[in-house]
Formats: sequence, C-alpha cells, structure tokens
Amino acid sequence: METVYAIFIKDGAWLTILKGLWATVQISALSLLFGTILGALICILRVSNFNPAKVFAQIYIAVIRGSPVLMLLMLFFYGIFARTDLTPITIAVITFSMHTAAYVAELLRSALMTVDKGQVEAARTLGFSKVQAFQLVALPQIIRVAKPVYQSTLINLIQWTSVVGYVSITDLTRVINNTAARTMQPMITIIGGMIIYLALSYVIHEIFAWTEKKN
Amino acid sequence: MKKIFTIFSAFILFSLILTACGENKPAPSPVKLGMIKHLNASEEEFNNFTKEISSTLSLNLTSYNPVFYDNLNSMLMALDSGEIKVISTYDCVARYITARNSKYEIIKDDTLEFIDAFCFAMREDNTALKNDVDKFIDDIRNDGTLSQLTKEYVTNVKNSDPPAVEIQHFDGADTIKIAVTGDLPPLDLVLANGQPDGFNTALLAELGKRLHKNIEIINVDSAARASALMSNRVDLIFWAIVPVSEIIPADADKPDGAELSTPYYRGKIVHVKLKD
Repeated sequence: METVYAIFIKDGAWLTILKGLWATVQISALSLLFGTILGALICILRVSNFNPAKVFAQIYIAVIRGSPVLMLLMLFFYGIFARTDLTPITIAVITFSMHTAAYVAELLRSALMTVDKGQVEAARTLGFSKVQAFQLVALPQIIRVAKPVYQSTLINLIQWTSVVGYVSITDLTRVINNTAARTMQPMITIIGGMIIYLALSYVIHEIFAWTEKKN
Repeated sequence: MKKIFTIFSAFILFSLILTACGENKPAPSPVKLGMIKHLNASEEEFNNFTKEISSTLSLNLTSYNPVFYDNLNSMLMALDSGEIKVISTYDCVARYITARNSKYEIIKDDTLEFIDAFCFAMREDNTALKNDVDKFIDDIRNDGTLSQLTKEYVTNVKNSDPPAVEIQHFDGADTIKIAVTGDLPPLDLVLANGQPDGFNTALLAELGKRLHKNIEIINVDSAARASALMSNRVDLIFWAIVPVSEIIPADADKPDGAELSTPYYRGKIVHVKLKD
C-alpha cells in the first residue's frame, strides 16, 4: 500500500496523473467531435451519385484506415506541420479527427444501408419533406444501429491517443511511463494506468447505457 | 535365423553404446540480455559489432542473446516476467534501480567493460550552437561545475529524488528547444509534480545561464528524438555514443544530418538481474 501511495499520490503525483488524463480526454473529445462531423461529410460523399466525390471518399477511407495512426501523427507533426505554429495538441486533434472520420464514415454508411428506402418513400408520400423524412424516419434507425459501433470507436480512439507522447504531449500514458521510470516500479504503475483507462471506458459505457435507457 | 538375430542385436547394442559415448553435453543456451534499442544503428548492425568485438577483444559476448527494448520500463517488465534474465544499463541507472526496488541487484563479476559517452546532438548546419555547446562543456569541465553537477545529480542520488532544477528565464533572449525523455533516471527523469529533472536537466539550466538564453524543455518519447531534431521541432537532443576502440565507430548510431558535441559524461555499462 505504501508503494502504491508513493507511486500515485505522494508529492503531487496524483495531480500530474490528472493533468495527463485531462490531455487524453481533451484530445479524445475534440477528435470525436470533429471526426464525427468530418465522418458524416465523408459518408455523404461516399454514398453520393457523383462519382469523383465517391472515389475521393473511398480513397480517403482506404488510406486513413490502412495507415497506422502513429505513423500518421508523426508524419503530420514532424513533416507536414513541422514548420507551422500549430500546437502539438492541435496537430494531434487533426490527426485523430481524420482517423476517426474514416471509421465514422464507414459506420454511418453501414447504418444507412440498414434503413429500408421504402420507409422514407412512404414518409414522402404521406407529405413529409425530405428533411423531415430523414430526421423522423431514417435518422432514429441510423442512430440505433450506429450507436454500439460508435461507442467502440470512441473507446478505441481513447486508446489510440496513447501514442501522443511521440509528439511531445504529456498525456496519461506518458505520465504513467515517466512515473514508472522515476519510481522503478513499472508493473504496478502500468497496472494503475490501465485501471484509469478502464475507468474511462466504463464511464463512456455508462453514458451510452444511460442514453439507451433515456430513449 | 538365430545367428542373424544375434548379429542384428549386437549391432543395435553396439550402435547404442557408440551413440551414448559420442553424446556431448548440450551447449549452454545464451543468456537473454535486455538492451535499449540503438536508434540509428540497426539490430543487425549491432549484432555484427558484437561479433566483431567478441573476436577482436577475446570477449565471450556470444553467451548473451541480446533482446532490444524501446525503453527502460519495458526492459524491466521483461526482466520481471522472466522474458529476459539480465538487463544491460549504465552504472548510475543500475544504482538508481536497485536503490528504489530491492528485488533487483547489480551483477558484480561481469566481464563486460563497455563505457558509453553522453553528448548532445544538433543539426549539422547549426554550427554556432555546436560551437557554443562544445565551449560550454569545456568551460564547465575546467571550472569544476561538471564534477559538482555529476556529484549532486548522479553520484549522490540514492533513495531520494535528485534536487529540483530551476531554469532561469531571460527576458527577450533567444530560446533553445531541447528534447528530454524522462526515462533514464537519474540522468533524465520527470518528478512527481511533472517537472523535468535529473543530471541532463541540471546541465541544461547551466547551459541557459552561461549562454544567456532561455531553455525550453520538450518531453518526447526517446524513439522520436531524432525526428524531433531533424524536423526543427527542437534544437538539441541528448545522445549516447559507444566508442569501443575502432570496432564501433563513435558515430555508429548518429542520425544522418546531425552533429555530436564533445561528450560530457561517461557511463560504464553494467548488468542487472532479479535477486535469486
């Protein structure tokens, strides 16, 4: 118990861990937000009848999903944006948003495919506008189908962010690694770090479960 | 028929005896030795160096089977799990490890006597900075500051953390950006409050003071140091060179386009294992 106290609490270690956790939450939340918006746009391009847009979306999804996120992050940070004034967190958010967008685009497309076109057409015949038919008939079904996969995407995103230490961001993983090196107790420290990540995933699970109940 | 059976049995028996007599004891399998990855020298190159050292210096290095790790943490975890039997690290790091975790011990009677030299690396076009850093190292060596810092941040560090380093700020002065990794205590570590500390950081504080420049410390993963330097994200990084006669050239692990400063510290390589 004394060792656990020395690793995680003593001399303000808990505060440093919280700061690392905040960096992880910040990058994940912003990436999820922008990734979802971008993913929805990519999905629209992907299902459109305009061929160049469709091909662009296909290439985007194939390239981004096929690239390891760490490589993408290093390419952006040490290459493309190396001579800009963008902060490491901004570059991380850009990278993870782009990465998440590729997954969100595909999950939205698959959810969209489950909606029976006949239902939308029926709504239109009943006098619903295009927007109303989408909003009141298709969207609830898309959300219901996409939700579990979206939840997994978010949990994966949080785990992906653990590589941001490569681009000088002190996130939760980086703090845990620094703490393990300082205390020379890597096993206990990393188990502690895993518990924090698990707790974060559990919170997300509970939020999604709560929204389910609410609906 | 009986005769044939007797001859056949005798032949089998004779063969078995011969086989048993000729059986050698199996050669002892090499000890798995954990090492931190060299960033630019590939594992293959490093294994070739090892073979060359073995044959040239008559050292039995082939009794070790090196397994490479990204950082000290993963190497220690491999040691804990039994994946490797011994780790190779610097004497000051080994002392730091054993002082904080009593389950490890330094192997005393080891035959390996390698010494790594620590230096700064900067982009090769940054000659002004190289000159400044070389002069700084000479100055602090000559006036005794280097030995004092070594004593304070390396030799005297036992169970407690090294003293916190305060980096002075100079209004309007230029800034030197330097990458630290925080994963090689007591040379490079991060305190519980998140502040970089250790011998290297103390050296940086002194560098800033003497050059009258601000020091910006950037914490990066050790594997990303070369990328950080070559992409202009930082101006200086810490580097270790392994000069073993002429077998391993001093620039064996040097990133392309980088220049190394005068070494400021030498660390003997020792081996650490779990206590029996």
